[in-house]
Amino acid sequence: MARVVILGAGVAGHTAALHARRILGKSNEIIVISPNSRYIWIPSNIWVGVGKMSAEQVTFPLAPVYKKQGIAFHQALAKEIHPEGDSTTSSGYVTVAYTSPDRSGEIGQIEYDFLINATGPKLNFAATPGLGPDGHTVSVCTSGHAIEAAKALQEVIAVMKGGKRQAIAIGVGHGTCTCEGAAFEYTFNVEHELRSAGVRELAEITYITNEYELGDFGVGGLVFSQSGFQTTSKLWTESLFRERGIKAILGAHVEKIEPGQVHYEQVDGTKGVLRFDFAMLLPPFKGVDLKAFDKEGNEISEKLFAPSGFMKVDADYSGKGYEEWLAADWPKTYRNPLYPNIFAVGIAFAPPHQISKPRKSPNGTLIAPSPPRTGMPSGIMGKLAVLSINELIKGGPSAQVGTASMADMGAACVASAGSGLRVGSAASMTMYPVVPDFVAYPNTGRSIDDTFGEIGLAGHWIKLALHYMFIYKAKARFGWFLIPE
Amino acid sequence: MEDANESIARAPLPTEKTLRQRKNLLTQAMRFAAINLKMIKMIRKGHHPMERKVK
Repeated sequence: MARVVILGAGVAGHTAALHARRILGKSNEIIVISPNSRYIWIPSNIWVGVGKMSAEQVTFPLAPVYKKQGIAFHQALAKEIHPEGDSTTSSGYVTVAYTSPDRSGEIGQIEYDFLINATGPKLNFAATPGLGPDGHTVSVCTSGHAIEAAKALQEVIAVMKGGKRQAIAIGVGHGTCTCEGAAFEYTFNVEHELRSAGVRELAEITYITNEYELGDFGVGGLVFSQSGFQTTSKLWTESLFRERGIKAILGAHVEKIEPGQVHYEQVDGTKGVLRFDFAMLLPPFKGVDLKAFDKEGNEISEKLFAPSGFMKVDADYSGKGYEEWLAADWPKTYRNPLYPNIFAVGIAFAPPHQISKPRKSPNGTLIAPSPPRTGMPSGIMGKLAVLSINELIKGGPSAQVGTASMADMGAACVASAGSGLRVGSAASMTMYPVVPDFVAYPNTGRSIDDTFGEIGLAGHWIKLALHYMFIYKAKARFGWFLIPE
Repeated sequence: MEDANESIARAPLPTEKTLRQRKNLLTQAMRFAAINLKMIKMIRKGHHPMERKVK
C-alpha cells in the first residue's frame, strides 16, 4: 500500500485527488492537505466580483466530497517538507498547521510515499505598497475578495447615479504579475455592468497592465486566421477596447498605491499617476511559505525551490537568455529532480522562463508578465502526476512515467466580457501549444489551425456551460471523469 | 514605446452587421457548436500523457 499526499485542493490538487482515488484503487491511501475548507471554481469568480454570482455559486465544501470518495482531508497549511524523513523515520513527511476551527493551531506530521505539491500561489500583495484589500485596491483572487470588489463597485455606481464622474482602474499591480486574462475579463465585465446600470458615460475606465502589447495575456500574444487572413490577438483586443471605449496603459510596473492614485513606471522609463475612485489590481504571485529540510534537519529549501518560491521540477533552469530558450526547456513529468517521489503541478511548479518577452525600463525595473499555468493545463498536470504515480507503484522506482509538457499541450480560455443569457459576451480563445514551439511551428510558434479567437454571445454560453460542468466534475458527481480537464 | 491609446484609436471597429451577428441567437447557436468542436479537437490533441513515457 502506498500513501499519496496532495498539498492543495485547487484545480490541480483536487483533480489529482479525485483521479488518484479512481485510478490508484482502494488499496492505496489518498490524503489531501489544504488550508481552505471550500473548493473554488476561480474562473467564475469574475462574476462574483461584479455581483452577478454569489460566493456559494462558485464554491462548495470539500469535506463531504472527500468523505464520499474515501479521501482523507486535513484542513491544514503545509509548513515543511522533510523528503528524507528525520532521525526517527526514514519516510518523507510534511509538517502541517491545522486551520480548521476544531484543530486550529495544532501542528501535525503526515508521512508520504508520494507527494503532489499543488499549493497554488501566495498572493504577494506585499510586493507593491498599498496594493490589495489591506491597502487601497480590491482584488478578485478569492471569493471573499470578489465580494468586497462587488460591494465597492456598487458604491461607485451609486455615486455615478448621482451624476458624478468616476475613474476606474483595472489591471495588474506589479511588473511581474500573471493572469492578465482575468484582469481583462474583469475590465469588460465592469464596463458591461456600468452600461447595464445606465452610467457608462460617467465612467473613465483604464486598463493598466505589464503586457507590452494588448492581447499578450502573458503568452506572447496569439496569431490566428480569420476570414482568410492571419491576424493577431493585439489587433483583435485593441478593436474590443476601441468598441467599448476603454483606455490602456501598457508595459507598466505599479510602484505603489496611495488613496486614489496608482503610481507606475513604464518600460520606456516614463513615470505616471493614474487617479482612481475604484481600482481592482491583481497581485503578483510567489511560492507559498513552504520550507524543506534534510534528514539532519538542515534547511534545503534552495535545492527544492526556485528563488520565486515555486518548486523545481524537470525543467531547464540553467538561466539561458530569453532569445535562447526552447520549448524543450519546459518540464514534461513535473518530478522534482532530487526527490523523484515529489511532483509539483499547476502554479506550484517553477517555470523555466517567461513566455512573453521580459523587459527592463531604463531605471532597471523588470517588467515581465509571468507565464500562466492555471485552468486546463493545471488539471492535466494533476492527472498526469497520478498516472505516473500509478506506474511507479506498479513498476517500482525505475518505471516509466507519462509526460505532459505545456509545449505539447493546448489551452482553451473563455474570457467573459459581460454576463447575461441574451446580452452576454465573451472572447473565446484556444491556443496550441501553450508554450510556443518555434521548432515545430517556425512562423508563429503555434498551430494556426488550433489557435483561434472569436467574440460573441456564444462565448458567454460556453463560459457558463464550463462553470456548471466543472463544478459538477469537481463534486465528483456521476461520470465526472468523462469530462476532460 | 507606442502609445497604447493611439494604437487603440486606429484599431478596426466591428461593423453593425458584425455586432448584430455577435448577438444573433441563431448565429451564436451555430458558433456555440463550432467553437465547442474546435475546443474538443484541441483538447484531444493535447490530452495523451501516457503516450510518450520517459524514465
